[in-house]
Amino acid sequence: MKSALSREHTATAWLLRREEEGWSAGDHALLEAWLNADPRNRVAFYRMQFGWQKADRLAALREPVVPVRADSARTWWRRRGFGPAFAIAASLALGAVIVWHLGVFERHTYTTSVGGRSEVPLSDGTKIELNTDTRLRAEVNANSRTVWLENGEAYFDVAHDATRPFVVHGGTRNITVLGTKFSVRRDGDRVDVVVLEGRVRVDDLSPSPQPTVVITRGDIAVSQGAALKITHSEEHAVDELSWRQGMLTFNEMTLVDAAAEFNRYNHKQLVVVDPRAAAVHIGGSFDATNVEAFVRLLKQGFGLTVEDEGNVIRISR
Amino acid sequence: MIDEAILKNWFFTEIFPLDAALTRFIRRNWRNEADVADLRQDIYARVYASASERLPLQAKPFLYITARNHLINCAKRAKIVSFEHIADLDSLGFPHDAITPDRQLTAREELYRAQEGLDRLPPRCREVVMLRKIEGLSTRETSERLGVGIDTIEQQLVHGMRALVDFMLGGSGKIRRKAAKPRVSIKRNL
Repeated sequence: MKSALSREHTATAWLLRREEEGWSAGDHALLEAWLNADPRNRVAFYRMQFGWQKADRLAALREPVVPVRADSARTWWRRRGFGPAFAIAASLALGAVIVWHLGVFERHTYTTSVGGRSEVPLSDGTKIELNTDTRLRAEVNANSRTVWLENGEAYFDVAHDATRPFVVHGGTRNITVLGTKFSVRRDGDRVDVVVLEGRVRVDDLSPSPQPTVVITRGDIAVSQGAALKITHSEEHAVDELSWRQGMLTFNEMTLVDAAAEFNRYNHKQLVVVDPRAAAVHIGGSFDATNVEAFVRLLKQGFGLTVEDEGNVIRISR
Repeated sequence: MIDEAILKNWFFTEIFPLDAALTRFIRRNWRNEADVADLRQDIYARVYASASERLPLQAKPFLYITARNHLINCAKRAKIVSFEHIADLDSLGFPHDAITPDRQLTAREELYRAQEGLDRLPPRCREVVMLRKIEGLSTRETSERLGVGIDTIEQQLVHGMRALVDFMLGGSGKIRRKAAKPRVSIKRNL
């Protein structure tokens, strides 16, 4: 009886390759064909994936400092990361040189208004989705790909290209992509990174930098000033990105935090005036721009008092 | 037809947590240990086929009935089990605890289990799995770090992953070589 074990072997090899850099649409189609060929293939693949995810707990053993080899390209980027002014100056100089010689220099600024959302393709095949009230600059040239997130939140589906590192500058943090799908949100000096697939590296650029960290699928890194907190939950990571479908997903969030989330998407601002109401916990998915529906739920479902004053909705108990 | 994402999620939340219990059930009711992996896979494939039409309301009894029917069919077809054995299976009727799930492990217990599974791997395998799972290196990066070919790393990873997954799901966590390998070595011996 060899078939189950050899199928398991093939399923494992697929699972492994799918995690690798350079996984393409063609690879995906091949995998789908294999999965569809026999339900036993599919259940073997799912079972392997289930067990492999369980072993994700091992990530807790990860050391905070990532060893860096002297000969690798990553070192170079890390060094550049510590001198942001130099890095920007260097990339500008580089860009200028490239414009001069090749004329392939692309730099654009993209913005969205409150409640807006937009998807922009870069010339390298990367897709960026901008969330509400966001402003970012992107530069793609022959040697590098750089994004400056000035404010707001964006989701990146980065086209794999080992020769051109992809770096997102967000305040005091640099996010270097190691082939992946992830989002970055910037709110003043607070920077949140959520990884959906692959891995990214977060470098601290402050004068007394925290160690560099590498975070992977399902990790959520929240940094503010010198503090950096990393949590792991694939479910929460997916919830965090529900804005891409125009939704807000709360997982037992306090009303005051939920209101702050809604306020990012709407001109009509929610104000929680009563500490007892602020502490109410909210769970569920909501249309980000339908603040009226959310307020109705607060009134009917939670028995809270709601006063609509035009631009402001006051909530109390 | 049930949406694939829903079906997959149902397997992950309702069916696979019963994996160890299902394996025990098969082992208890089937004499040839070598068939266990095949029987389990066939049972999952049957569960998948039925569930893709309509999701069963209760996963545990559904898995049990599918498993029991499959074992009876196989026994009848193969004529490898005595009639009393089949009768035993039939007389089991519908006991609620025929497939008893293990207690859900806490996050900490799951980490300990993963560490124990790692410890059971041969040193080389353990190293590549650790570089993957803990440091997040790709196959290429691991290959560069260890100075070993990518194909070798991938082979070691596949063996290590399978053994670790086997252990995480309640198995012995032993490496199982691909079935094709012994055949090759026999040829070489000739």
